[in-house]
Amino acid sequence: MNPTPTGLISELTALAVLKEAQKSGADYAELFLEDNESTRIEMIDGKVESANYSRICGAGVRVLLGTQSAYAYCADINEQSLMDTARAAAAALGEAKFAPNGEITLSRNNFTTPVKQRFDSIGNADRIDVMRKGARAIKAASPEVTQALVRYLDQVQRVTIVNTDGQFVTDERPRTRIYLQAIAMNGTEAQTGYEGPGCIRGFETYREVIDVEKHAKSAADMAVTMLHAPECPAGNLPVVIDGGFGGVIFHEACGHSLEATAVGRNNSVFCGKLNTKIAADCVNAVDDGTMPGEWGSINVDDEGGKPQRNLLIENGVLKGYLIDKLGSRRMGMPSTGSSRRQGYMFAPTSRMTNTFICEGSDDEEEMISGMTEGLFARKMGGGSVNPPTGEFNFSVAEGYWVKNGKIVSPVRGATLIGKGSEVLLKIDRVGKTMTMAPGMCGSLSGSVPTNVGQPRIRVSGMTIGGKGGAIE
Amino acid sequence: MTYQEFAKRAMDYAQKIGCASSELFYANGESFEVNANAGEIDRYSVSREAGVSVRVSINGREGYAYTERIDDPEKLVDHAADNAKCNESTDDHPMQTKQTYQEVHREDSALKHLSESERIALAKKLEQTCLALDPRVKRVVYCTVGYDSGAIVMENSLGLHAERTSDSSYIYVMPSVEDGVELQTGFAFFMGTEAANVEACAKEAVEDALNKLGASPVDSGCYRVLLKPYAMSDLLTAFSPMFSADEAQKGCSLLAGKEGETIASEIVTIWDDPFDPVAPRAFDGEGTPCIKKAVVEHGVLKTLLHNLKTAKKAGTESTGNASRRSAASAVGVSPTVFRVEPGKLGYDELVRELGTGLVITELEGLHAGVDEVSGDFSLKAAGFLVENGAVVRPVSNITVAGNFVSMMKDVIAVGSDLRFGMPQGGYVGSPSVLVSGLTVAGN
Repeated sequence: MNPTPTGLISELTALAVLKEAQKSGADYAELFLEDNESTRIEMIDGKVESANYSRICGAGVRVLLGTQSAYAYCADINEQSLMDTARAAAAALGEAKFAPNGEITLSRNNFTTPVKQRFDSIGNADRIDVMRKGARAIKAASPEVTQALVRYLDQVQRVTIVNTDGQFVTDERPRTRIYLQAIAMNGTEAQTGYEGPGCIRGFETYREVIDVEKHAKSAADMAVTMLHAPECPAGNLPVVIDGGFGGVIFHEACGHSLEATAVGRNNSVFCGKLNTKIAADCVNAVDDGTMPGEWGSINVDDEGGKPQRNLLIENGVLKGYLIDKLGSRRMGMPSTGSSRRQGYMFAPTSRMTNTFICEGSDDEEEMISGMTEGLFARKMGGGSVNPPTGEFNFSVAEGYWVKNGKIVSPVRGATLIGKGSEVLLKIDRVGKTMTMAPGMCGSLSGSVPTNVGQPRIRVSGMTIGGKGGAIE
Repeated sequence: MTYQEFAKRAMDYAQKIGCASSELFYANGESFEVNANAGEIDRYSVSREAGVSVRVSINGREGYAYTERIDDPEKLVDHAADNAKCNESTDDHPMQTKQTYQEVHREDSALKHLSESERIALAKKLEQTCLALDPRVKRVVYCTVGYDSGAIVMENSLGLHAERTSDSSYIYVMPSVEDGVELQTGFAFFMGTEAANVEACAKEAVEDALNKLGASPVDSGCYRVLLKPYAMSDLLTAFSPMFSADEAQKGCSLLAGKEGETIASEIVTIWDDPFDPVAPRAFDGEGTPCIKKAVVEHGVLKTLLHNLKTAKKAGTESTGNASRRSAASAVGVSPTVFRVEPGKLGYDELVRELGTGLVITELEGLHAGVDEVSGDFSLKAAGFLVENGAVVRPVSNITVAGNFVSMMKDVIAVGSDLRFGMPQGGYVGSPSVLVSGLTVAGN
């Protein structure tokens, strides 16, 4: 695959497509082209089980008229298909009436991501070497680990975005992720542990950034620990949530409800709450798409916008939302470089990038030693939220029961539920060191890579779901 | 280049570079989806898609490659061959040979013959109907009407040729209601031949939302639980991998080796029925003719679900459950149309049978709060508190936890109200199911 600073389309064709898209009166039109090559390999117990290559290639045309929007896409990028797609999008807004007058002058902006070792310069043998290291480290961690599953992905998404604001943007987005899963068994029971580090870089990631063996060991340790853990008791108690993927609580409890998708339609508990207190004083939070090499970072957003560091909460006060172009029209506020989409099959909308609670000033150890009884959620699983009500749920992948300031036992099967607006006010400690972890976030515009993050925090009370009895 | 030219060149080239067999899976489709908001078209999307996957076998090993650019068959086959060469699995994955298929009748789905403007009007009417049903309905969070159609063509060097077209219609709506104190949302989803019934869909969604007003948690403890069809079919969807022979052979299913054993209450029968009118099909993702079978019959596990690979490994026949999540995905195993056989009791009778306990209408967080290996689940739930056979009040902000395998043994009644959940790759349906005990976390 060669870098294509010229883009996936000529300026002339792009302008013709945009013109066609505006024929029914759209005041804005945008063309998004994508050529995306990926390699996925799956390894079970150290043996390659499957390898798959896929090339996704297509384009989408979006038109806006005020706050109305229409999107059409096709799995093809030849001129004829693009013109048909433009007509389909235009038709949604009404009859073709006129050709828009006024020439658009395009200004070009070509982005690339610094890469030392391109994915098209390596072979499957290189990928498999890295995977095998992970598989071996999982198995070596404990005799109770009965199975190691390793999945590898690398992908280069090349996009060209052209719009009637005169932007002609190209971007090349390489990324890679390795998912390491350990299963520990003892006769009748099985428990799982996993880690899934990823980066927006080239293959050098596995020499310079991601220590596969360390993550593998951590996944194995988690499975073994959970194998010996009793079921988590149920109740409403204080919860300490560790840094890193613990940040998924903020992502679900607050982040989604700050997206224009929810706010712009009046479907969020945080509508109309700018400059009011929505969280405890110790809470500061940011969404920052500009952090170099981070999993959730973007060079440019999916409608040509510049990513930025967006302050969301300052000392407990709501300071900002995450806004895309359409959201900006609905809300009468500027867009925040937050427009994202999985690919050409999705119209873009407001999404998170790297979203985290900022560093605070509390002592991490004291959060546990100062707790009478409760849960220490060391690693979180996934979760979801219903933005209109703010009710969220998420699972705890690795939890510990705390009594009288001491960890007394690991616990399995815990779930945390609550309302975002209530939990944010109940955060009573924020630690000093912020760490992030990668995830895939699913919403209206598909699945996009996002980082979640936070320092260790404590919530004074949450509903803990589980099926265990009291732990002595 | 036409697809036919592409296919021929790909298979010829595969043979030339030494592939023992090769197979092409081509899928194309068109889709339409519109969302109405405040009487306007708010989101509108139309599409045309096509892609082809090639699968080759070299020295007993298989590799895949997929593309949406129908321009370079040799490059695609080279990618697949590269992938095959690095495959270390010793499991033989045969390709299907030429087959004959039974004719399958498919009812046209409700929106098939509607024009685009009629479908748009339907979305607006769905929103309007919700708003008109009750003054407490303040907004409709989303209100979506969709129609997809497509075709797949499978062919391989062993003479297989299988193709079919399919279409689907769906509507779903989430109204939000407010009573001055709180806000709640409701949901309903209709599909297939029912997808034009906006009145029933709106009514169900608005009732669902209104029923939740005033909801609060219950005390933590162990409760008898009546799982309504959406909740039960969501759970069954989440745990359906347990029935896959592929998962069993990888050591990831508690049902491995349990064929012939009692794994559920004797009143539980579960069908895998590829001919169910909800989504009938004649062949599976490898071109194997489909068959209807009881997977669980009166509590006894009759069979796991197989494709050609897992069947060969187990020394049995494929059950016609090879699946491809999309043309880009490798062949896996999944149910076709999976449903719990309904019993005789109506919902009201089940509530009386429940006596004192909880009705669970919905479960959330299914992508995170279930462990399909251990069978454990712990999920956010909502529903009603029932005392002495009568509904007392709505319940929310609780979690329900249990183990799917032990829960299936604890089923004490099965209702007559079979419904299918929102399809998540496959079709799964269940009536309401009464279970003797699940752990609830609340106050």
